[in-house]
Amino acid sequence: MKAIHAALFSALALVSFPGWAQSTGPTDPQIAAIVVTANQVDIDAGKLAESKTKSADVKAFAQRMVTDHSGVNQAAVDLVHKLGVTPQENPTSQSLKQGGDDNLTKLKALAGKNFDRAYIDHEVTYHESVLDALDKTLIPSAQNAELKALLVKVRPAFVAHLEHARHLQAELGKSGA
Amino acid sequence: MPDGAGRRRGDPGGNPRWGTSGLNLGVVAALVLAFSGGAGASPTTYTVVIEQMRFNPPALTVRRGDHVTWVNKDLFPHTASANSKAFDSRSIAPDASWTYVAGQPGTYPYRCDLHPTMVGILTVR
Repeated sequence: MKAIHAALFSALALVSFPGWAQSTGPTDPQIAAIVVTANQVDIDAGKLAESKTKSADVKAFAQRMVTDHSGVNQAAVDLVHKLGVTPQENPTSQSLKQGGDDNLTKLKALAGKNFDRAYIDHEVTYHESVLDALDKTLIPSAQNAELKALLVKVRPAFVAHLEHARHLQAELGKSGA
Repeated sequence: MPDGAGRRRGDPGGNPRWGTSGLNLGVVAALVLAFSGGAGASPTTYTVVIEQMRFNPPALTVRRGDHVTWVNKDLFPHTASANSKAFDSRSIAPDASWTYVAGQPGTYPYRCDLHPTMVGILTVR
């Protein structure tokens, strides 16, 4: 259990977004990189979960993450092309990528219910972190109206995903160790 | 005044044409009334917009035979699936739509099969 808690804690720490000083929020190219990376990280985790889980509910959730975040990313990439913006890597996008890679490494070593729990636990913290970043940093900092509108448009999907993940987390908790 | 009267009289086809036209209009009006009256009222098309993980309007009341079109304005697929299985759109792609012709009267709670948090109600009178 201690190991699991330690792993969870480190996952939580890695998935969290480094704060931006109020006066120096991310630029639009940096926001674009954060959005694309955040979606890609969850697509990658979803693909792994689709192939590894034995639970029909977890599999359905993972497929939803892959489809929905792919849709969001396509819209983000289309907008970036339309606006002529080149996404710019930054500490937040790099931290997200690193956190995603570490999560995949950890998940690959697990199986069965341990895998399901670790995947869903991470999905809960990941969606909480993304929502927090959307509300406190990304939406307030976006300068381009279309970029801001896209972020506002996709926010409810992250809320619904978080509720779905929390529901699964509770179900997995009930099913015993 | 003679000029004016003369013009009216000097237009022999005028009155009969108006008379015929009036008759035709009367027939058309009668036909329109016959087809629009009573139980044969033409169906109304209603639109439910799916956007930001919501059905809008979330509750809709229609008459049997009306058309209900769900339009997906989100960036990923959704469904409109009655809990009773009375109707099921299956996956509606982004920017696509699906139309249901309201059948048996009743109250039909429905959901998005892909997103359990999305629910709506269709009432058919």
